[in-house]
Amino acid sequence: MSSPTSPQDEDLSTGSLVEWVVPLAFVGTSAWLVWHFPAFILEFYPPKGQSQFEQLAALYKRRDVTPDMAPLFGQFADAIDWIAAILAPILFAIGVLTVKRARMEFADWRPIDRLSVFWGRITMMLIVLLVSVMLYEVFVRYVLEAPTLWANELSLWLAGFVFLGAGLYAMQQRSHIRIFLLYDVCPRWLQRTFDTISTLLIVLFAFFLVYGGYGEALDKLWRWETFGTAFDPPIPATIKPIVLVIVCLVAAQAVINLISDWNAVPVVHTAADDIDEDELEKLRASVGDEGVGDIDVTRGSIQGNQSERK
Amino acid sequence: MDIGTISLVLMLGLLALLAIGMPLGFASAILAVLVLFMKFEPTFLVDPMSFGDGLLTGRPGAGPLNILAQKIYGLMTDYVLISVPLFIFMAALLERSGIAKDMYSSLNVWLNRTRGGIAIVTSIMAVIMAAMSGIIGGEVVLLGLIALPQMLRLGYNQNLAIGTICASGSLGTMIPPSIVLIIYGLITETSIKALFTAAFLPGLMLASFIIIYIIIRTQIHPDHAPLPEPVEGEPEGGEKWALFGAFIAVLACGFCSILFLRTLFFTVTGQNAVVEGVEPIFWGTPDYLPWFGGIVVVGLALIFFAFGRQRTATGWRMGKGLVAPIVVIGVVLGSIYGGITGITEAAGMGAISVLILAIMRGEASFELVWDSLMRTLKSTGTIIWVTIGAAALAGAYTIAGGPTYVANTIIGADLPAMGILLTMMLILLFMGAFMDWVGIVLLIIPVFLPIVQRMPIEEIGLIGELQPKYLAVWFGVLFCMNMQVSFLSPPFGPAAFYLKSVAPPHISLTDIFKGFLPFICIQLIALSVLIIWPPIIEILLP
Repeated sequence: MSSPTSPQDEDLSTGSLVEWVVPLAFVGTSAWLVWHFPAFILEFYPPKGQSQFEQLAALYKRRDVTPDMAPLFGQFADAIDWIAAILAPILFAIGVLTVKRARMEFADWRPIDRLSVFWGRITMMLIVLLVSVMLYEVFVRYVLEAPTLWANELSLWLAGFVFLGAGLYAMQQRSHIRIFLLYDVCPRWLQRTFDTISTLLIVLFAFFLVYGGYGEALDKLWRWETFGTAFDPPIPATIKPIVLVIVCLVAAQAVINLISDWNAVPVVHTAADDIDEDELEKLRASVGDEGVGDIDVTRGSIQGNQSERK
Repeated sequence: MDIGTISLVLMLGLLALLAIGMPLGFASAILAVLVLFMKFEPTFLVDPMSFGDGLLTGRPGAGPLNILAQKIYGLMTDYVLISVPLFIFMAALLERSGIAKDMYSSLNVWLNRTRGGIAIVTSIMAVIMAAMSGIIGGEVVLLGLIALPQMLRLGYNQNLAIGTICASGSLGTMIPPSIVLIIYGLITETSIKALFTAAFLPGLMLASFIIIYIIIRTQIHPDHAPLPEPVEGEPEGGEKWALFGAFIAVLACGFCSILFLRTLFFTVTGQNAVVEGVEPIFWGTPDYLPWFGGIVVVGLALIFFAFGRQRTATGWRMGKGLVAPIVVIGVVLGSIYGGITGITEAAGMGAISVLILAIMRGEASFELVWDSLMRTLKSTGTIIWVTIGAAALAGAYTIAGGPTYVANTIIGADLPAMGILLTMMLILLFMGAFMDWVGIVLLIIPVFLPIVQRMPIEEIGLIGELQPKYLAVWFGVLFCMNMQVSFLSPPFGPAAFYLKSVAPPHISLTDIFKGFLPFICIQLIALSVLIIWPPIIEILLP
């Protein structure tokens, strides 16, 4: 996969087995963890009112995948729940440490960017799951005539995480839509001022979003509010808080970007920036020699290539 | 603070933040906060030390600021929005598979002896690709890679080649499924299915305008499109028509057998029994059986007796590259219009069908899926987060009474409806030159649509009258047509930059924009058809 034009010497092949397995394993364990999360709420921070406590306990009893397993340490969470709780952060750490930059991804990366990129990898696995769930649902509904109760709501739940995770990844990749009309003609010191203002405003937005929304989000998490349907996934209990968490992470990533790009040389941005050289290489390969022919199809010098900064 | 001031500050703030290159979504989001403060706690803006006293900052964790989180949550749990990543995923898979290339070869075989053949093939191919997915960038790049070298090698007029590729490649947003229309439907709460149906005819109209232009231009200037040297042993004239007929017969036979088996399956399992009040399964009731069976029999008879097996085999070999695209279109549009599934499931099915086709063609690999997922992720994040910011801003601005205020002001000015419409078109065209379509649909449409909805409907259009229930649909299609122009319009039309990235180095951006000029005129003609005769969108709608 190495291209002669590549400025980097590092190994940039991605998509190896470990890069599929670790995020998938993390998704699996954290799914178990989230599904059994009421157990941990009951263990560590139980609702104060007696009736609320009983409601949540009943909910957990209904949900528990392994209802016959004896609780470990406390009253609710069983051994598998505890294992999932320990394994999830470990897998996340492994994932963050092993994640590799793909050729098509933003070239300039620091260790701290690994977090957002691995979050992106997790989100990619969620897209795979989302498509699989839809395929399964259509198959059982139209071929076997036995529609599931859970597929549509599970897609909705997964999609919420996909949308949010994609935004964090897009921030790390600098691919959020901006208008460079004035920006590109400004001197670098002015660009830095602009970037600082933007980043400050993003942080300010994150602050006010959390300031206004944490009450409801924490409340829904604590009461483990569910969707109120047959399958009844805890969509409000999970998505509401995760919106705030991700917006904060995005703001943090914006600050990281500001620091990382402080010394970057100015480039002229065009609409072609989101077509990367690597992608074109592969497209050309799939189109074949006949399509490209004997004409030299190289990128013109007018476009700055975002991955060739510095 | 009164809403007039808020609107003015909002507009200036947006301009300022966009000018300094702040990401669109976050600029809208912080302005949403600003709007809430101007509305509920203006004192904080002049005296930041008063933090903690007012309506917004007084109660942490609650109060009107929570609207922001609520709006975002509402968007995150919108079922239709799921179709966006799925369609992007599908397009990413499609671009990397050889389906497009095979389709080009198959189409080219039939039209290579026609004057301007490759240009026409490019347009037809763009329409077919537009019906498979709804992304424009990839389409222009792909056409630029496949068709541009061929046209230049044959000595086609460079401007004609460039214009054809970019104008046709932009059709992706006009012909369903289209992500632009999905987002438009989402924020204006218009039926996306109705939007798709309505956009179909105008989209085809624009495509046929382009093809007619190519034919006329190449007839007047044959040197703009030289014919290739005939290849030894290639079928010609009548023989080619016979081969084409044989291919069509095979195609019809194949699809009708599938539909026949499907209907038979429904009949045997009793799924299609007519129930009062329930919509019957599309093309799936028993009375369709003889039709499908009949077509299969006629097709087989033609293949064996009229065309002959030898010729059919040749015809099939020449045309089989068209089968995969037709299957994908059948799955996506069939799912939407056959009443089988909603837009979201149709998108999922489309992605899966492309993946299956790629597996059957031996092109699928974990690497392909991995790369496609990565591209999907990036594009999804980009589109959805502008939507998030705009949803927050729209929520805040609506609470402040903004849209009503703007609509009242414009309507109160007592301008002629068509005059307002034309001004809007100019603003959209102008904005389209600088801003991505996502930004326009999310920031400008929520202001424009209420104005249009308040106009006297009999004043809209010159010929015929639009039904009031389709007003939002019409405006959506009109907007989409506007975006067609903005994709090509200098100085920032994205199509030009997409093509530039794959064009030979001697073709400069100025050359590319020069090639666009006649095609922009064609698009403006199509746009004026929509304005002069709005009911064109109702033809396919019930």
